Amino acid sequence: MTAVVEVPQSFDDRSFEQFASGCAAIRESGRVLIDAHATEWASPFGLVSLLCAGQALGERLGTRPLLTVPSDKDVTHYWARAGFFVEAEALFEIHGAVPKLRQPPESTVLLEVTPVRVAADVHKVVDRIQDRASAILTSELGLEPRATIGFGMALSEACQNIVEHAGTGGWVAVQAYTWRRRLGRRVVVIAVADAGVGFRHSLEPTQARRFGERWGDGPALEAALIQGVSRFRDPGRGQGFRGIRKFLDHWEGKITIRSGTARIAMIRPWDEDVPLREGLAAFPGAQLQLVIPAAEREAL
Amino acid sequence: MITEIDVRAVLSRSVCEFHSDLVTRSTGRAVRSGIEAHLLEHPDITVVVLDFSAVRVLDCSCADEIIAQLLLRSRPGAATGRGTYFLVRGLDEVHADQIDEVLRRHGLALAAEERGGAKRLLGWTTDPMRTAFDCVASHGSALPEELAAELSWPLDEARHALEELAGYRLVMRADAHYLPLTAA
Repeated sequence: MTAVVEVPQSFDDRSFEQFASGCAAIRESGRVLIDAHATEWASPFGLVSLLCAGQALGERLGTRPLLTVPSDKDVTHYWARAGFFVEAEALFEIHGAVPKLRQPPESTVLLEVTPVRVAADVHKVVDRIQDRASAILTSELGLEPRATIGFGMALSEACQNIVEHAGTGGWVAVQAYTWRRRLGRRVVVIAVADAGVGFRHSLEPTQARRFGERWGDGPALEAALIQGVSRFRDPGRGQGFRGIRKFLDHWEGKITIRSGTARIAMIRPWDEDVPLREGLAAFPGAQLQLVIPAAEREAL
Repeated sequence: MITEIDVRAVLSRSVCEFHSDLVTRSTGRAVRSGIEAHLLEHPDITVVVLDFSAVRVLDCSCADEIIAQLLLRSRPGAATGRGTYFLVRGLDEVHADQIDEVLRRHGLALAAEERGGAKRLLGWTTDPMRTAFDCVASHGSALPEELAAELSWPLDEARHALEELAGYRLVMRADAHYLPLTAA
């Protein structure tokens, strides 16, 4: 029998929980169909999370899950131009027509879905995105030119989290678009995800005792993001999130991290999110999202 | 002897000639090793100016591996240390903030020159240290008595501030005088 997990119609960090619940309900045997036929839109977070699900389910069940592509050709084209299918081909048995790309990448896509496995990949990512990011951050978002340097730093640190802690590869994607309902402004979104060991497992050997019975996915995320602790005892470690937070503080940006059964968010006045959610459906690895909004004076 | 090291050039030699970004821990380790190898070949160097002018992105991990580890490992008494003095030049304001954060975490400090020419101390410092440093930098040298007179500080306080700067290797001591590192 084939179990079906529906991809939400609009797949982003908010609707992700619906998808994660579907994945968590999968039994240990049989085939799995990830059904995206009705999906009309996916954020960078949605796309990289979908790849995580493909990797994790494939490893768990010993067979690649099926993936039906969106029935809307424009959506499928968009996913193709965002580089999704290049990575998905190895993880899913894809059903439906995948367009052959003749067009350049979508103009709003700052960085196509890109694998991150080793430090050299982080260099490539930062190198590839820097010029385009500079143009979009300054001209479209109205940020000062120096935001570009901080943006590169934040992107690098987010990707290094995979290299240093995940125990497996992951993906990054960066896109600029308008958050009409949530913010009414242009934003640049960085999504970084892996299906690795997750924060709790990574930090457990050095942090679990300190937290005692409270220890779990939520406290692990708090320790990493708020307290800047790392699995290494060296005081120089764990500075990546501190750097990211400083950059986001300056530009009113937001970070969310979902790992295991918890999700932490550094929220802003423009946002209606909650700081910490626990007891969510289990999902492997870690999924990060950084949102950098346009300067308020540049609001659309 | 004082020497200036173009960090971007070390990056080219050590990692990849096409990179302009100092990102990742492994890159930081490679660049630090390149700098340490250069210093080993030139034992007469006492002051090193690390030039970041051509560096685009600097992340915290790389800054930690290059700068914090260079300072820690070059301390007199450290395994590889011979008491080399370091200062940094050509920093963007964002770079300076990153390095400042990294050094604070280790309880280290460093003299820096930003791209606009402004001199500042980064890392773990106190108000008296910063004031005394500005004074030494602007006058080119200072005696405790001169500092005390200029700032209307008690002599002990002036001497203590200068000794702290020397202890953190932010100025050099020559007899009773305290000198900026660039005076070496």
